[in-house]
Amino acid sequence: MHKQKIHRRILDKITEKLLTLSGALTSIIIVFISVFLFTEGIGLFNTPDIEEGYALYVNSENRIDNLSPEETKQIFDAEVTSWKAFGGEDVAINVFRLDAIFNFYSENELGENYELLPEKLGEVISREKGIIAFLPNEYAPQGLQVRKLETATVTLEDYFLGTDWIPTATPAPLFGVLPLVLGTLLVSFGAMIIALPLGLGVAIYLSELAGNRERKLMKPLVELLAGIPSVVYGFFGLVIVAPLVQKAFNLPVGETALTGSIILAIMALPTIISVAEDAMRNTPLGMREASLALGATKWQTIYKVVIPYAKSGISAAIVLGIGRAIGETMAVLMVTGNAAVMPTSFFESVRTIPATIAAELGEAPAGGAHYQALFLLGAILFVFTLIISVSAELISKKRHS
Amino acid sequence: MKKLFVLLMSSIVLVSCNNSQKSSEDSTETKAVSTQSVRIKGSETVLPISEKAVQVYLKDHEGANLMVTGGGSGVGISSLLNKSTDIAQTSRKIKFSEKQKIEADGRNLKEVIIAYDALAVIVHPENKVNNLTREQLEDIFTGKIKNWSELGGDDLEILPYSRETSSGTYEFFKDNVMSGKNYASGIMSMPANGSIIQSVGQTKGAISYVGVAYINQSVQPVSVSFDQGETFVAPTAENVKNESYPIVRPLYYYYLVTPEQPEKEFMDFILSDEGQKIVEEVGYISIR
Amino acid sequence: MNKKVSQNIAFFIFKFFGVLVIGILFSIIGFIGYNGIQVISWEFLTEFPKEGMTSGGIFPAIVGTFYLVVGSLIFAFPLGVMSAIYTTEYAGKGWIVRIIRIMTNNLASIPSIVFGLFGMALFVNKLNFGDSILAGSLTLGLLVLPLIIRTSEEALLAVPQSYREGSLALGATKLQTIRRIVLPAAFGNIITGLILSIGRVSGETAPILFTVAAYFLPKLPSGIFDQAMALPYHLYVLATSGTDLEASRPMAYGTALVLILIVLIMNLIASFFRKKL
Repeated sequence: MHKQKIHRRILDKITEKLLTLSGALTSIIIVFISVFLFTEGIGLFNTPDIEEGYALYVNSENRIDNLSPEETKQIFDAEVTSWKAFGGEDVAINVFRLDAIFNFYSENELGENYELLPEKLGEVISREKGIIAFLPNEYAPQGLQVRKLETATVTLEDYFLGTDWIPTATPAPLFGVLPLVLGTLLVSFGAMIIALPLGLGVAIYLSELAGNRERKLMKPLVELLAGIPSVVYGFFGLVIVAPLVQKAFNLPVGETALTGSIILAIMALPTIISVAEDAMRNTPLGMREASLALGATKWQTIYKVVIPYAKSGISAAIVLGIGRAIGETMAVLMVTGNAAVMPTSFFESVRTIPATIAAELGEAPAGGAHYQALFLLGAILFVFTLIISVSAELISKKRHS
Repeated sequence: MKKLFVLLMSSIVLVSCNNSQKSSEDSTETKAVSTQSVRIKGSETVLPISEKAVQVYLKDHEGANLMVTGGGSGVGISSLLNKSTDIAQTSRKIKFSEKQKIEADGRNLKEVIIAYDALAVIVHPENKVNNLTREQLEDIFTGKIKNWSELGGDDLEILPYSRETSSGTYEFFKDNVMSGKNYASGIMSMPANGSIIQSVGQTKGAISYVGVAYINQSVQPVSVSFDQGETFVAPTAENVKNESYPIVRPLYYYYLVTPEQPEKEFMDFILSDEGQKIVEEVGYISIR
Repeated sequence: MNKKVSQNIAFFIFKFFGVLVIGILFSIIGFIGYNGIQVISWEFLTEFPKEGMTSGGIFPAIVGTFYLVVGSLIFAFPLGVMSAIYTTEYAGKGWIVRIIRIMTNNLASIPSIVFGLFGMALFVNKLNFGDSILAGSLTLGLLVLPLIIRTSEEALLAVPQSYREGSLALGATKLQTIRRIVLPAAFGNIITGLILSIGRVSGETAPILFTVAAYFLPKLPSGIFDQAMALPYHLYVLATSGTDLEASRPMAYGTALVLILIVLIMNLIASFFRKKL
C-alpha cells in the first residue's frame, strides 16, 4: 500500500516534468527551425560565384582581373562584345565553351581519355587574344599564355540587393532576391486592398447587423472558406480567375500579380473576418447604448464607437491577414506566372518567395549554391512572418492593457 | 463522452493494427516471390514513362515493389547520392559537380538513355506565324524580338513562357536552341508542362515549348528551321523518327552499380521491346 | 434624414459584401462540385489511377492522406494537449506563459513551405528518414501543433475554476484533478480541435512536397519508411502535369471535390461536438 503511494508520487513527478517540457516545445521547435534554415543557407556566401567545379580563363595579355556575375552574364549572353566595356583593350570578346574544342581538334587528337585536352585548350587560349573560356577544373588548360580569372564568392550585396534572379545561369548564376521580395510584398499588398474592405464589411455586418440566425448560418460558411485546401484555390484561379482577369482588363496575359492578389484575398478573408468580428463584438454594450441614447444612429455608433474601440483588434486582423498572404505557396505558384522581374504594376506577372522555393527546390542540386540560396529565401520568409506575428501580438496586447 | 473517446481510440488502434497486420503479410508475400524493391525518382518529364512502365511491369512481377516519385531531376540525382532512390530519372545530363560528388567515394554511376523526347515550340491556335528559325527563337526567348509583327504576324506583344528555371527542359532549350544564352529576365515560368499548355491555350500572344507528348488541340505547334530558314520541319512523329526534326533530347536513367542490382530486372524491361513500346504509347520516342 | 440615408447606404454595402463573400464561396464549391460530382463513383474512390492517370481512381491518394493524418496526429495530439495542460494548469500567469503563447502564435504563422524546407533538411536528409510517411507525418505534425495547442488551451480554460477547487478540497492531488476532473470536462472541445486539425492536415501540399509525396505508387505503402501518395499533391499533379491534360481534368475535379468534402465533413463533425457541450 505504502509502496504504491511512492510509485504514484514518482510517476506524478515524472508527468509534471514532462508537462513542463512540452510547454517549452513550441519555443524549441522555432529555435530549431531558424537554426536549420540559416545553417543550411549561410554557406552561400562562401561559395564561388562561378558554377561549382568550373573556372574562367583568359589570354594572359588580357588586362581584366575579375568579373562580377552580372558582367560574366553579359559577356556570355553576347550583350557586351568588346573588352573595352570593362576597361580592357578594344578587342572583340570571343566566348569559348568546352564543346567548342571539337571545332579545332578531332576526337583522336585529344587522346583516349582526353588526357591531351588541357594542353590543347591551352593552345587555343594562347592563340586568341580576346578569348574567355568557361572550363571544368578537371581539364584546367595548361600553357604560358593562359590566365585564370580570380573567382569571388557570392556577396551579401549580390544577394539582398541584386535585381536578377537567374539561379541557373551559366557560368555565373545570379541570386538577386529583390524582385522576389518585392513580388511577394506586392501580391500580399494587393490582396489586402481587396480583402480589407470586404472582410471588415462582412465583420461589421456579422457583429452589428446580422440576426442570430444569419450569423449562425454564415460563420461556419466563412470557416469553410478557410478550410478549402490551397491547391483547390490555385486550380480554381488557373482555370477561372486568370482568364477572367485577362478579359476584364483586356490584358495580354491572365497570370498576373492581380490574379494572385484576388486568390490570396479570398484566402485571407476568413482570418480577417473572424478576428475583426471578435474584436467588435467585445465592445461593451454600455458604450453602444450610451451612444444610441445620445441620439446617434446605429451607423454613427458603429463608426464612432465600435470601430475605434475595436481598433487594435482590427489592426491585428489586418496583420494576420498579411501574414497569411505572404506565406501562401501553392495557389500563388499556379496563378501568378512566376516571372522573376522587378514588379512595376499589378497587371504583370510576378514571382513570390514561397512559389520560388516550391518550384525550384526539386531541381537544385543538394548542398549547392542554388540550394543554399533557396534556404536563405526560406529564412527571409521566416523572419518576415516572425515580425508580422510579433507585431500582431503587440497590437492585441495594447488592447488588453 | 468518455465512451466516445474510448470508441474513437480503439477504432484508431484497430485500424493501425489492421494495417500492420496487412503490411507484415505483404512483406512475407514479397519475400516469397522476390525481394525486389525499386525506387525511381526525379524528372517530371520522365514520370509518365516510368508510371506506365511500372504498371505494365507489375502484371508479370506481382511481388515486386516499385515506387515512382517526381520532384525534379536535381532531387532524383541527390537522392541517388544519399541512397533514398535506386534509379534517378532525369531529363538532362548529370552535371559535372553532381557526378563528382557521387563518384567521390568510389561509387560507380551508370547512365542509360531510355527514350528520346522531342520538344515542340507551341503558340496560340489563332497565331498566323507557323514557321520560325532557330535564330528567331533565340531572339524571342532572349527578349530581342518583342512583337509578332516583326515575324509576319499580327501586331501583338510576344509573351514567352518557359518551364521553371531549374527544370531539365529549361536548360536543354537554353543550351540547344538559344546557343547557351540566358532567357530574358522577364520571362514567365510555369511549374509544369500542363500549366504551359493551359496558359498558351488561353493567351493570344503566347509562345512556349513542351514535349511533343503533351501537345493537344488547344495549342498549335510551329515548324522550326535549324538551317537559317531553308527547310522548316514540323514536330510530327514521322519527322522525329526520320531524324529531320532538330530539337530532340535524350531522357536518362541513372543508377549506382552495386552487387545486389535491385534495379536490373526493371532496367532490362524498360529497354526491351515491350518497354520501348510503352515509351511510344506515352508519346515519346523509343531509343531504337 | 441625411443620417438615415448614409446609414442605409453603409448597411446596404455591408450586406452586399456579406452576400458577395458567400457568393464567392458558393461559386468555388459549385464549380468544383458540379464538375467533380460527375466523376465520383465507387470505382473512383477505390481504384488505382490507370492509363497515365486519365482513368481509374484515387484510392492510394486517399489511403496516403489517411496515413499522414493518423501519423501526424499520433505525434502532435498528445504533445499539443500536454503543452496546453502545462500553460493552463501549471505555468500560472507570469511572463513564461506569455512567451510560450507568443511562440505558439509564431509557430502558427510560419508558412507551410518553410515547414517543408525544414522537414526536408532535418527529417529527410539529416536524420536520413528519406522521403517517407514518417518524415511527412512529423513535418505535418509540427504544422498542426499550434492549432491543437490553441484549441486545447481554450477548452481547458473553459472548465470552471470551481471544478478544480472542489476536487482539490476533497484531497485530490493536482494531477489527479487534471486527469479525473479537468480533462474529462474539456474533452469535447479538445476533440473539436483534433477534428479541425484533420481537415488542415489533409489539405496541405507544400510541407509534403519534399518529404513524402509520391507521384505514383502501384501499391499501398507498407511501412512508415515508405512513400505515400496524398490527395492535395495528387490534385496538383493532375492539374499541372500528365501528358493528356484534357483527359486528366475530370480526375482533377473529382479529387478536388473529395478534398473539399473531407474538410466539409470534418467541420460539420466539429460543430456537432461543439454544440453537444
